[in-house]
Amino acid sequence: MMRLDQFVSAWAEYDPNHVAVEGVIEKITYRDLDQLADRFARLFLRLGVRKGDRVGVHMPRSGRTVAAMLGALRAGAVYVPLDPGSPPARIALIAKDCGIRHVVISPVLLSSWLASGVTSPVRHFVLSADGPLPAVDQDAAIHRWAEVLDESAERLEPPSHNMDELAYILYTSGSTGVPKGVMLSHRNAFAFIEWAGNQIELHHSDRVASVAPFHFDLSIFDVWTSLWVGASIVIVDETTVVSGPRMLERIRQRNISVWYSVPSALILMLDQADLEAQGAPSLRAVYFAGEVFPMKHLRRAMRALPQAKFWNLFGPTETNVCMAYALPGVPSEEDQTIPIGHPSCGDQMRVLDDAGQPVKPGQMGELFIEGPTVMVGYWNAGAPLLAKQPYPTGDMVSQREDGAVMYHGRRDHMVKVHGYRIELGEIESALLLHPGIQEAITMVVGQELVAVLVASDPQLSILQIKQHCAAKLPRYMIPSDVRPVASMPRTTSGKIDRVRVKQDVIAENEARAKAMTEARAAARGTK
Amino acid sequence: METRVINEIIDYIVTTWLSGDARGFTEQTDLQASGILDSFSTLALVAFLDERFEVQLDPADVSTDSFRTVSAVADLVKGKLSSAGT
Repeated sequence: MMRLDQFVSAWAEYDPNHVAVEGVIEKITYRDLDQLADRFARLFLRLGVRKGDRVGVHMPRSGRTVAAMLGALRAGAVYVPLDPGSPPARIALIAKDCGIRHVVISPVLLSSWLASGVTSPVRHFVLSADGPLPAVDQDAAIHRWAEVLDESAERLEPPSHNMDELAYILYTSGSTGVPKGVMLSHRNAFAFIEWAGNQIELHHSDRVASVAPFHFDLSIFDVWTSLWVGASIVIVDETTVVSGPRMLERIRQRNISVWYSVPSALILMLDQADLEAQGAPSLRAVYFAGEVFPMKHLRRAMRALPQAKFWNLFGPTETNVCMAYALPGVPSEEDQTIPIGHPSCGDQMRVLDDAGQPVKPGQMGELFIEGPTVMVGYWNAGAPLLAKQPYPTGDMVSQREDGAVMYHGRRDHMVKVHGYRIELGEIESALLLHPGIQEAITMVVGQELVAVLVASDPQLSILQIKQHCAAKLPRYMIPSDVRPVASMPRTTSGKIDRVRVKQDVIAENEARAKAMTEARAAARGTK
Repeated sequence: METRVINEIIDYIVTTWLSGDARGFTEQTDLQASGILDSFSTLALVAFLDERFEVQLDPADVSTDSFRTVSAVADLVKGKLSSAGT
């Protein structure tokens, strides 16, 4: 077992010129990463960072970002990746929640942070690049990039050997929208890193895509599993991940061999970039997680990449990856879903009913996870809420006869409409079986079952969609209100933003109701 | 008369359950097989018929067959209206 801060130095000695992180323009070798991380660590220590302090990292993904995270760990601190796509108010909320006093930040993000006028406990901003120093009147110091480079790269003593100290805090929005800081220790991280690297025999020579933002838990694999085995991290930057053609070009030009993303990213390459015709011969392993992969798209992706091994990884941020399924081959046309598989990373699972009793095979219950990947707890403004073991994931699952675990959706997506208990995910899966439906989200608004969907076929009528549902679902599960939209709003991690989809539906309902009231008032007025 | 009844029922169904998308929908569309009518939406349709055409339907009038298509519903309404008129 190893702490994350110990990963890079051995590779820096063994193969110093091997690329550690390859950005769009700049590359950073293992030697340079190792040295830059030590420079960051020395600067943090000089600026008063103490063991266990939280250091924010607020910049687009690059070799420097990785060096800043590694530097924070080498200073004995806990790194907190801050989403470059989030507004300053939300970032300040996180900084306040976990008491961040030091942030490494890009000049552009610092300008917008300062312009927003938010208050935060941050006292030291360390710029991640050259840039004009903004003139500010506040009690925070701004440190130029040159200050990082001026530090000595002489190796520091390891800050600790304790695996149970925190390594990073990932803020998730949760279902309420209030950010929650998930605390993960070196032990939590290493259990996953070691498992994930071993499953696909990740190697020094691999070129691993970094698709997920660093505040999203998928990035733990991209960054830390790669650094553990001395592989190269290839940045697929924020402007590339929104475009299928650009993503595919990046894979092909940079010979990416391992890919881990939400299914949405792969679907973009199928739909916008003709992945099926072009292929991506360098890809040997594809991990996906974070969303249900619609079967018709999964089959297409697997046929387009016949040389690649596909894995469905599963787990909330709170447990990292706790379940995994290696696909034995392209699922058959009869398969309506694939399993989330079996416990991974040394974790154990239980499937319990509402009374906390184990369910029989085939019956649905909530997934509980116990083991090394389960988070330490939530930060909770300095009063940690320690995680229960086994941890209730909030996910409804059942076990197949062969033992493989099937996913049925979030416990909080179980709704009751007209007295029927309905799993929204099942309606979404049924909708997605239609070849003309690209994406689908269902929800209950008032007492109405509403489906919002993106149709790839403009000829598809609501009647046809309802007829499709009627052929696949019991009557009480057919959405009464079907609304086609041009596209779905997404979160910064690339998943469909369910909260916004629902807000849009409610806003549209209100607008319709208002229009109707006005029309009635106008009709009365003319009488 | 018959066409007016049919068109008004179609309008109501298309606005209420098809988000205003009339494509493919006719008076012969099977309302059950197309997932439009279930026990709740049937009640809403019965209420609409009462309000718009002032026909009171008994539970006995409402069957899978009498509510199979708009055409069938219109026949039912027409029958009620003519019997009320005599």
